Amino acid sequence: MTQRNWITAAVLTCGLTAALAATATPASAMDQKCEPDKLAMKYPSLVGKKIKIAQDGESPPFSFRDPKDFNHIVGLDTELAEAVFACAGIPIEIVTGEWSGLLPSVIAGQADVMWDILYYTPERVKKVDFVTYLTAATGALVAKGNPKNIHSIDAVCGMRATAGLATVEEAAFRDIAAKCIAAGKPAVSIVTYPNIPGGTRLIQNDRADVLMSGLTLVNQLIANNPKSFELAYKIVTDYKIAAAVTKGNKELEQAIYDGLNVMIANGTYKRIVEKYGLDLSLARTPEILTE
Amino acid sequence: MLAIVVTGVGPASAMELAAAPDVAAPATWWLADVMSYVTAPFLLEGALIAIKIATLAMMAGAILGLGLALMRISSFAPLRAIAWLYIWFVRGTPQLLQLVFLFDALPPLGIKLDAFTTAVVGFALNEAAFSAEIIRGGILSVNRNQTIAAAALGMGPFLTLRRIILPQAMRALLPGIANDTIAVIKGTSIASVIFVNELTFRSQQVVGQNFEFFKVFTAAGIIYLAMTSVVAGVQALLERRFNLDIESGEKSDSALHRLLGFRFREAKRKPALPTAQPTAQVASVAVVSPPKPAWITNIAGVMGAGNGADREPFVVCRNIHKAYGYREVLRGIDLTVNRGEVVVIMGPSGSGKSTLLRLVNHLERLDWGEIKVNGEYVGYEKVAHTLKPKSNLARARAEARIGMVFQNFNLFDHLTAIENVIEAPIRVYGQDAKKARELGMNLLANVGLGYHANNLPHRLSGGQQQRVAIARALAISPRLMLFDEPTSALDPELVGEVLAVIRRLAEQGMTMMVVTHEVRFAREVADRVIFIDEGEIIEEGTPHEVLGFPKHDRTQRFLRFVERQTDVA
Repeated sequence: MTQRNWITAAVLTCGLTAALAATATPASAMDQKCEPDKLAMKYPSLVGKKIKIAQDGESPPFSFRDPKDFNHIVGLDTELAEAVFACAGIPIEIVTGEWSGLLPSVIAGQADVMWDILYYTPERVKKVDFVTYLTAATGALVAKGNPKNIHSIDAVCGMRATAGLATVEEAAFRDIAAKCIAAGKPAVSIVTYPNIPGGTRLIQNDRADVLMSGLTLVNQLIANNPKSFELAYKIVTDYKIAAAVTKGNKELEQAIYDGLNVMIANGTYKRIVEKYGLDLSLARTPEILTE
Repeated sequence: MLAIVVTGVGPASAMELAAAPDVAAPATWWLADVMSYVTAPFLLEGALIAIKIATLAMMAGAILGLGLALMRISSFAPLRAIAWLYIWFVRGTPQLLQLVFLFDALPPLGIKLDAFTTAVVGFALNEAAFSAEIIRGGILSVNRNQTIAAAALGMGPFLTLRRIILPQAMRALLPGIANDTIAVIKGTSIASVIFVNELTFRSQQVVGQNFEFFKVFTAAGIIYLAMTSVVAGVQALLERRFNLDIESGEKSDSALHRLLGFRFREAKRKPALPTAQPTAQVASVAVVSPPKPAWITNIAGVMGAGNGADREPFVVCRNIHKAYGYREVLRGIDLTVNRGEVVVIMGPSGSGKSTLLRLVNHLERLDWGEIKVNGEYVGYEKVAHTLKPKSNLARARAEARIGMVFQNFNLFDHLTAIENVIEAPIRVYGQDAKKARELGMNLLANVGLGYHANNLPHRLSGGQQQRVAIARALAISPRLMLFDEPTSALDPELVGEVLAVIRRLAEQGMTMMVVTHEVRFAREVADRVIFIDEGEIIEEGTPHEVLGFPKHDRTQRFLRFVERQTDVA
């Protein structure tokens, strides 16, 4: 949408419909450029605030310690968050903690945004609001040579499977496990890991047969350790990767939403996605999801 | 489940890495890499965070734990119940969940703590529960006699706790507290779930980025080991400090020492053999000019002309009753002790003699009847014709100035002879430390222990200990002395030296109540002998009457028995 189009639309909207319609369409989808100095006008409730972005700092390529300087966090999620908030003129602080503790902290308001390869789910949206920005695919990681000959998720029955604690992959394994039992096949034994290095060690040390995580992450792990791992299968899911915002923080959601649109429009989004080795086909039009 | 998985992260993962495959590089390179992580500021900052949290949490936890421990041993049931419930709950629930609760469940209630504060508060609350039990164990390990001795000197409960109980409990406490400190330092890693970026989490992040599990976790292990080694070292130093078997010499009296009753720094060792010289200043008082004992001037002011000639009643007991549970120990005792009089109380064991003494200085509470010392109740006030205990009993005891000497000496084991003597004068009566020390040395010299002033009780013989105990009782300028079988725990050859001191005290006109089985001593020293059996006074009169011509069967039987014992001895 160009700026001129927006003006036309806005005039029409104001003229023809009530304020209700105006809030139904995101009011500032128009902000196609960064205007950090207009913070007070666009997001008045965020003036003077420092937004806490919760990340785990141990999930490459989304959020991890900069190899050149451990005091910095880098990654796709990190850079995207930095770009979006710089665009809105809102200072941020990246706070790092165990992944499984991040969402509870956003729900409680201890952090404002969790921006760390988090999937939208119908359960989660009851507790937080989401702004989507990527599509997810799931990858299954196995030891080099695929000793258990696992080539699809249906072959997981009777295997030792591992996924991150409280992740959608863990839920997926639990679904499959139930189906295995229903079909009279051996059950899946599921182990959860607290962080991805912990998970990969389970595979390396033959404590688990298959690990599922985001495809990007899995591919990166394989690229870094080609002698240890290989890809068993991938599932193109319709999982939406999204930033989670404490409920009721409308202007913050709006700022993220607007910022993402600007980044897509000005090419920053494409540059960051490609910089961290993701396929652009996973790009996704931003959407605010709430309940 | 959350707890199980996440707490398994740190050291456990490092352990499973022992068999990790990335150890192929030459050992020296490998070691150099590890050392580069050990010295990496990023990891060391994480270690510093762990230290800060652990230090603050341990300090707050120990203070809270002391409070909880006192609540647990309180005589007030609701306090005990609250402390028990707290400990039960905190020890029984996973600490990870406690942290997440503090961090994420309190903000809706308007309490929003940052990550560091949450960790400090969470670990402190947790540590309070654990250290409470360690401290309680330590307090219970201290002999109850120590508390009784302190009470007899007029020391209040908190003074007793601070100066007498805790210093002695310290040795039993230290290993447990050091364990907890180490556990907290390592346990801070679970706080990563609430955004505390301490050492383990930082090393995980480094691993997450470069996958050098083994090197990074080895480095983290080395840093942890360095931190916990410091704790172990401090523990060893403190244990040495509180070990009474290690001799310590004359020590300076620092402010901290006066506050805590013990020193952190061990003083220079000094041979404390009997041949050692007392300090020069005291020597001039005690050795060069001994004929003018200060304790005589110390007590003379409160005594009458002496020798029992004075007929003025000083201790008046009327119709005293005391029972322990259903067992009646005293059944209507009436007794008057005149100023300057020496009353010896005899009777079979279990007859209630010791209880009578303990009622006089209110170590035990009266069930019925009343006791006045020098015209005053000790720690009671009369409300509507009944005696009601005063709230500040310790102060009442101190004001009554009643010295007491126990069968088992009850010296404060962690204090030297002179420190035992000057404890109450300084702490309870607020005497000037230098003056108290001079007087204390004089008292010790006068019981023949000038050379042993700086010895701890366990270095002294029983007779010497009992003489220190007498000096300690005299140091509060008593108006009345109670002796509870002062020689019963002594070897026969040591009895004489103690009785000699008591005899001299009688000659000086001190009012005394002496429970003893020493018939000869009673004959020579007592103005009056009282024979008690089964909680009643059976006979009383001059030593000549009671010991020479006992009227009552029971008295005769007892005296025959005691005399036979003495002959055998």
